Amino acid sequence: MRTLARLEILRVLRNRKFMFFSVLYPVLLFMILTAGQKAAMVPYYMVAMCAFGAMTAVLMGNSERIARERDKGWVRQLRLTALPGRGYVLAKVAAAATVSLPSILLVLLAGGAVKGVRMAAWQWAGVLLTSWAGSFVFAALGVAIGYVASAETARPVAMIAYFGLALLGGLWVPFDSFPGWLRDIANLLPARPYAALGQAVESGRAPHAGDVAVLVVYGLVFAATAAWMYRKDTAKA
Amino acid sequence: MTATVFTHVSKSFGQVRAVDDLSLTLHPGETVALLGPNGAGKSTTLDLLLGLRTPDSGTVEVFGTTPRRAIAEGRVGAVLQSGGLMEEVTVRELVRLACDLHPRAHPVAEVMAAAGLESVADRKVDKLSGGQEQRVRFALATAGASDLLILDEPTTGMDVSARQAFWEAMRGQVKQGRTVLFATHYLEEADAVADRVLVLQGGRLVADGTAAEIKARAGVRRIVFDLDTPPEESALRALPRVTDVEITGRTVRIRSTDADATVHAVYAAGLYPRHLEVAGLGLEQAFLAITESSEKEKEVAAR
Repeated sequence: MRTLARLEILRVLRNRKFMFFSVLYPVLLFMILTAGQKAAMVPYYMVAMCAFGAMTAVLMGNSERIARERDKGWVRQLRLTALPGRGYVLAKVAAAATVSLPSILLVLLAGGAVKGVRMAAWQWAGVLLTSWAGSFVFAALGVAIGYVASAETARPVAMIAYFGLALLGGLWVPFDSFPGWLRDIANLLPARPYAALGQAVESGRAPHAGDVAVLVVYGLVFAATAAWMYRKDTAKA
Repeated sequence: MTATVFTHVSKSFGQVRAVDDLSLTLHPGETVALLGPNGAGKSTTLDLLLGLRTPDSGTVEVFGTTPRRAIAEGRVGAVLQSGGLMEEVTVRELVRLACDLHPRAHPVAEVMAAAGLESVADRKVDKLSGGQEQRVRFALATAGASDLLILDEPTTGMDVSARQAFWEAMRGQVKQGRTVLFATHYLEEADAVADRVLVLQGGRLVADGTAAEIKARAGVRRIVFDLDTPPEESALRALPRVTDVEITGRTVRIRSTDADATVHAVYAAGLYPRHLEVAGLGLEQAFLAITESSEKEKEVAAR
């Protein structure tokens, strides 16, 4: 099982183009979004873009790749081994996490070095950790999408999922500008609790237990769905 | 302990009955060929055996348990036509993965050698030829000491020498006591390698026996001889057990369901056949005869 995870990580690292864009995209977006902003909003966007960038990388990477692997029959071949469903999902999440970590690091680096964001050391570490750990949830969602969608539809489905979730999660517009009812909905979707973890740390508080709980539930549901679909996968002959 | 038991297994896709009330048993140590025209249900049968699909009705048992369980225990290895390979990794990396995942794995180097992959060990999987890819699949299927090997058209895409090398490797597996079930389009492979031949048609088992039995089941033997004087066709047709007579010049070709009786009657009729030859049909002709006749039976039944 460890060999599979190692191999999946290796494949991601070898795919330089994908790595390059996934890592650069969030930091570029962060620089653009904060170009005309007041200094007070910069830390908010920094955390939001850590979340958004990590989310993008793991969702897009996993869903499309998996749909293609199913299409080519690799998953079928893999199902003829003793590998349990959770082993497959774990390997895919590990591979995705390999991409999300540097993308988060780069946004933080730009925030600190270029945009002059100042936080305590524990806060930097906290934002990094919550952004990274939270991305696992979306990596699992990516695996699930890779199973629901076909090789042709995986990309658009993943795009809709991450644009929708990012928008509703207040990653592009400040969450505080949302009307009350929308905030209630957003709090129950995965992206807002995800970004809220980092934002709590950034404003000097501990992450909210409710947000952690929502994310854990989503993570488990996505991973279980993905593992179940891996075992089942009857859609593709 | 049986290797595989299908009990009244059926599987449909929409209106199409891919497998229709199939019952069969594979015994340990057998090398079994699965034949059938396209769409006969070979691939679906293998999918059911491997737990990739679940039957609509009936049960599939592999080594006394479910297919999934047997695979998890490392008792089954398989090469599927529809099985793809992981991309962006080298051959060696992929084989190492297969060995790592197998509960009763062989050493990586041994598996690579048996599949003849050493020369391409460091090549990327997506850069292989069709035949090399097929050898990688074979390596994945034989990464450990599985008791049952399932091979779906294993030599597709291989040239003649690669095919021979493949079956050489396969015989090695059989010698170690493995049970082998392979689907093939090449009837000469079934004839040369298998000690049991299953013929599927329309999702049903229409023949089950040794290659010789299948040939005999097709029933007919060919009798060929020359006569000094041009023979009379009606006299030849009147001989016992004759199903068909063909005369070219002085050469007579007879198809008979009982060659012994027919030949005896040829002499009894006072004829003096020269260069007499009696031969069975090839497996290919036997296969065609069986599938055609079962097709006809079906048509009659449908009327």
